[in-house]
Amino acid sequence: MLRLRFHGRGGQGAKVASRVLGTAAFLEGYYAQDFPLYGAERRGAPVAAFTRISEEPIMERGVISEPDIVIVMDKTLLYDPRVTPVSGLKRGGIVFINTPQSPEEARAEYKISGQIITLDITKICLEILERTVLSTLAGAVASKIAGLREDSLKEAVEKVISEIVTDRVLIEKNLEASLYCFNAIPPVEIKTAEAIQKGSRVITMPFETAEVSSPALNATGNTPLRRTGNWRVFRPVWNYDACTRCMICVARCPDGCILVNEDGFPYTDYDNCKGCLICVEECPTKTLGKVREVHADSKKVIE
Amino acid sequence: MEREMLTGNAAAAWGVRLAEVDYIPVYPVTPQTEIIETLAKWISNGDMDSKLVTMDSEHSMITAAGAASATGVRAFTATSSQGLMYGFEMFYTVAGWRVPLVMVNVSRGLSSPITLEPDHNDVLAARDSGFLQIHCETCQEVLDSLLMAYRLVEDERVLLPVIVNMDGFYLSFTREPVEVPELETVRKFLPPYQPRHAFFKASQPMAQGVAVLGGSMYSYFKYQMHLASQNALEVYKEVCGEFEKAFGRNYDTIEGYMLDDAEYVLVMTNSFSTLGKAAVKKAREGGIKAGLLRLRLLRPFPVKDITGALKGRRAVAVIDQNISIGKGGILHSEIASCLYNEKRRPRLLSFIGGLGGKNISPGEFEFIFDKMIKVKGVEEEEVETSQLLYTEEEWKEMARLKGIAGKG
Repeated sequence: MLRLRFHGRGGQGAKVASRVLGTAAFLEGYYAQDFPLYGAERRGAPVAAFTRISEEPIMERGVISEPDIVIVMDKTLLYDPRVTPVSGLKRGGIVFINTPQSPEEARAEYKISGQIITLDITKICLEILERTVLSTLAGAVASKIAGLREDSLKEAVEKVISEIVTDRVLIEKNLEASLYCFNAIPPVEIKTAEAIQKGSRVITMPFETAEVSSPALNATGNTPLRRTGNWRVFRPVWNYDACTRCMICVARCPDGCILVNEDGFPYTDYDNCKGCLICVEECPTKTLGKVREVHADSKKVIE
Repeated sequence: MEREMLTGNAAAAWGVRLAEVDYIPVYPVTPQTEIIETLAKWISNGDMDSKLVTMDSEHSMITAAGAASATGVRAFTATSSQGLMYGFEMFYTVAGWRVPLVMVNVSRGLSSPITLEPDHNDVLAARDSGFLQIHCETCQEVLDSLLMAYRLVEDERVLLPVIVNMDGFYLSFTREPVEVPELETVRKFLPPYQPRHAFFKASQPMAQGVAVLGGSMYSYFKYQMHLASQNALEVYKEVCGEFEKAFGRNYDTIEGYMLDDAEYVLVMTNSFSTLGKAAVKKAREGGIKAGLLRLRLLRPFPVKDITGALKGRRAVAVIDQNISIGKGGILHSEIASCLYNEKRRPRLLSFIGGLGGKNISPGEFEFIFDKMIKVKGVEEEEVETSQLLYTEEEWKEMARLKGIAGKG
């Protein structure tokens, strides 16, 4: 059995990617199962999705803790201590990272021991789809690594995407982008052994008083420490020559990420701005523009 | 018949569509919402001819569904967890109306602490209401059970509402291959509902849900519900046979896995049974005569079938994915009552596992088999209380989180 785990951000398409792969495997005659896991349905929140592919009926359910293949759709997740995308990766397993870096550069930066494959699928997505919904591209990458056929992928993309959108042009572009990615990934041999779960000892849970065992937090709130904007694809940039301090950007920002300095000029809280670019759209004087975020300092941003 | 990759929620929606339901009052709640979204999409596309109405709460929703059912139309609704709790008053009320409403519950642990992932305290809270209960292991079973459910409860010998249960996430959001039956085949298996007791006709006025004062009247109505539920055991077997004839899939009240010569038997329900079956298979490879009994029909409780399947075994371990605070596993108590008067009764162990969707690892299943093999005769040992399946690693992680939360 092949077990794949996708890591992405809410809105990026990890769930649909797992479905593209699951459908392609199913169409090719395998037993398949796919499953997403997310908590609060917030754009940008870490999302994991799972696909199992097997020649035998699948007698597993739920999360995959020991994957053969990990697909990292957003590399900033590699620095998120709550996500740890490569945890449990089997010996001989494969990690795909969406990055312009070479596998060697990525290995050096993220200290990953498995076999690494890289491709900047965000760039391909922006060029072909003109948006950053990576679902069919990540699904295509996973299909190639899992050893599925191109025609299965094509049929799967067609099927899965036409259940979501009716725009024929968009479906065609998804086909184009996914086939491009499929062919950009070299054939891979997966040499992982079946998982041998060591397992942890069952204990008898002791009593603790309600002071400890009630689900209340006794610590100071730490939400401000969590920077929710490190994953953005575009960064809004300011040219203050044109700014009239009209405050339309402040009013329109859905995340309260535009603050005002002591001279009355607005500025972006880059720690939490998700790059939705509503400010760029709304600015009447074109004070705001956008540049592609490259995450060269992704580690710094999160720390 | 076409096989497709479907989630449990989509499979449920297909069941409703194929049953040609007339009226669907809805209220969203994770992880159930995808069912009503799918139905709403089909109705707006014209793929389904049905009336869907968004309500202000689950209390109103269940009332509307029950009331519609009492006018003689085929009704459906769905809820989960906190939603079931919010509509709870109406579970008992609607059941008392003796209407064949079919409802899906997508199991999710109850607050607090609030969570999204499954256990069965929600659906089991409704176990005494009069609703029948069918619990599903696979997405296919969800679709099939909906068709069986209408046929079962629309029978004159039953006329009680029914809950079809599936686990949130583990089935609701999990896609696996599902065979979607042809509408014509379904129509033959499930003809239109012909109400003879509750319907809407201007020439024939009728009052539902009357008040009674005096215990003898009250007792009469309540016990009639119990008798109808007991009848459902027999009707279920008929429906099961008819279903197998039409669709080729068999769903008895209980399901045995490697049970024939098993000495050590796990008792489980719902989607985690798949994990139990894998553990049984592995234990067999290690030379242990293991087996699994999955409970599917929980109300009415198929006492004879369960007793027949468990008597004479060396040990039985009930894994309850629920907890009756202050007692332990709910199904453990129910299984114990099936076996108490049995001469060849097995030692019965109780485990609580999978609360809030917690995984049951292969190591935890090994722990259970180990306990079953080591357990002594009835007279020799005190019966243990329910053992929680919880690992050292999980305890350590909990300690770390308690630290972050400022708990000492």
